[in-house]
Amino acid sequence: MTDDPKMAWAITAEGSQFPGPLPCGLRCIPRGVDELATEHLVLNMGPQHPSTHGVLHILVELDGEEVIAAEASLGYLHRGIEKLAESRRYHQVPTLLDRADYVSGLHTETAWALAVEQLAGIEVPGKASWLRALLMELNRYASHLVWLGTFGMDAGAMAPFLYIMRDREMLLDVIEAITGSRMMFNYVRPGGVVADLPAGVDAKIRAWLEVADTYLSENDALLGGNEIFRMRMKGTGVIDRATALAFGMTGGCLRATGVDYDLRRDVPYCAYPELDFEVPLGVRGDNMDRYDVRVGEMRQCIRLIRQLVDGMPEGEFSGKRSRVLKVPAGESYAAVESPRGELGIHLISDGGLTPYRMRLRSPAYFNLAVVDEALAGGLIADAIVTLGSLDIVLGEIDR
Amino acid sequence: MPATKPAEVLRACGIPCETSTEALGDIVRLDAGRAADAAAALYESGYDFLVDLFATDTGERIEVTWHLRAFDEHVDLYLKALVDYDGAAPSVWHVYPAALYPEREAAELLGMTFPGHPNPKRLLTIDGAEPFLRKSVLVRSAEEVRISS
Repeated sequence: MTDDPKMAWAITAEGSQFPGPLPCGLRCIPRGVDELATEHLVLNMGPQHPSTHGVLHILVELDGEEVIAAEASLGYLHRGIEKLAESRRYHQVPTLLDRADYVSGLHTETAWALAVEQLAGIEVPGKASWLRALLMELNRYASHLVWLGTFGMDAGAMAPFLYIMRDREMLLDVIEAITGSRMMFNYVRPGGVVADLPAGVDAKIRAWLEVADTYLSENDALLGGNEIFRMRMKGTGVIDRATALAFGMTGGCLRATGVDYDLRRDVPYCAYPELDFEVPLGVRGDNMDRYDVRVGEMRQCIRLIRQLVDGMPEGEFSGKRSRVLKVPAGESYAAVESPRGELGIHLISDGGLTPYRMRLRSPAYFNLAVVDEALAGGLIADAIVTLGSLDIVLGEIDR
Repeated sequence: MPATKPAEVLRACGIPCETSTEALGDIVRLDAGRAADAAAALYESGYDFLVDLFATDTGERIEVTWHLRAFDEHVDLYLKALVDYDGAAPSVWHVYPAALYPEREAAELLGMTFPGHPNPKRLLTIDGAEPFLRKSVLVRSAEEVRISS
């Protein structure tokens, strides 16, 4: 055998080298095109690519249209939030955490507040718990809307995105009225929340609730009701139960495989024990299941928000807080169910004014680790959809 | 709760360990060299889910934490082991593939290694970046914050 491609003509069907020119005068052995040597192509997707949802860089090894292997190359958005938190006081850390998962900052803030409260033994008034839950559900819905819109775009559906952004705008208006900000909230603090519901916001939420169901059904009909979309999603990007658990996947991606696991119900926090909701589950763990589970979650969100608005208790929105928060030495771990899965804060304190170590257990980080398993064997067009179905946020992955 | 206690599981495998129950939960402290064996044994005993893996600079050494969970029972367990700076803790990726990313991250940010990792590249930082989660690498304002109190 020879490695020189120019000599390839002289290789016989048996694999031994033919000495000299072919006796019949032909240039090479006529073997047809099916034995044409193909080589694998390494394709760089990202870091500037609309379907990688941020600055994600994925290396895919392709054999024609088929994905042989995939590897995520991270770090384009790494800001060292865990290190920076070590130089911030306890009440300053949420400003950093908002920038970790920038699509659903309130979940990260709440996880932080729960971890600090657990370690410092701070009591939270009932109303603060309800406000946190309300804001988290509003934020979950807004986050799922971003996912729904971009997921449609990944599959080539442009129109739903525009309608979905219109709906998200209504929701962001509500969140802005409460927290004062559209994305970087800094609203949840250890001990409670920053402000009570402002006057008139109740009517605003109810106005949104009036149309939320209709709008969601419209958007779902545009995407999930589309036969072509369904055919593309069914059976692609299958992640089975064992793989999902092995890679530490949580959230909608895990529930799509049929694992009944939701921290809001299984390890309740905030106001969730008093609320009534269901946990939508999938069966096969393919893209369609992940879509259905998240859309189902959005319907539950509307149900939860209605309960939270109706049942909002009277009382203080924040406990008594000292100006400088000191947390005794020790460790704590608190987790919330973010739109992407189990978002945990592991806090280590040495009794000082700043955390000694803050570890953010980011759900999308673990969900993304499955790309090699999920993409290999599929087609490159499916790879983009599968990546979209994982609902990744790079701010949270790179931290 | 898995039927067998973690300490008994590890003792049966001949892995010396110290167990304690703290505010965080059940903690098992062991020798870093036996961490992969311990993880494999605990996986068999029901701790089938790796929630997280991270490392902390204690000021003298690096403390690696494996946050395990018995998934169906929702019981958490923390394995902790100390390694020297530039030291090593065995990779547990063959037991918990979830460890693939966090091990690479801990390696580059704390300056240590996880022998046995199939792809021990940097994950978040570029070549030459210092292991900045070490306490010896200062963020300027850290001192400012502490002094101004």
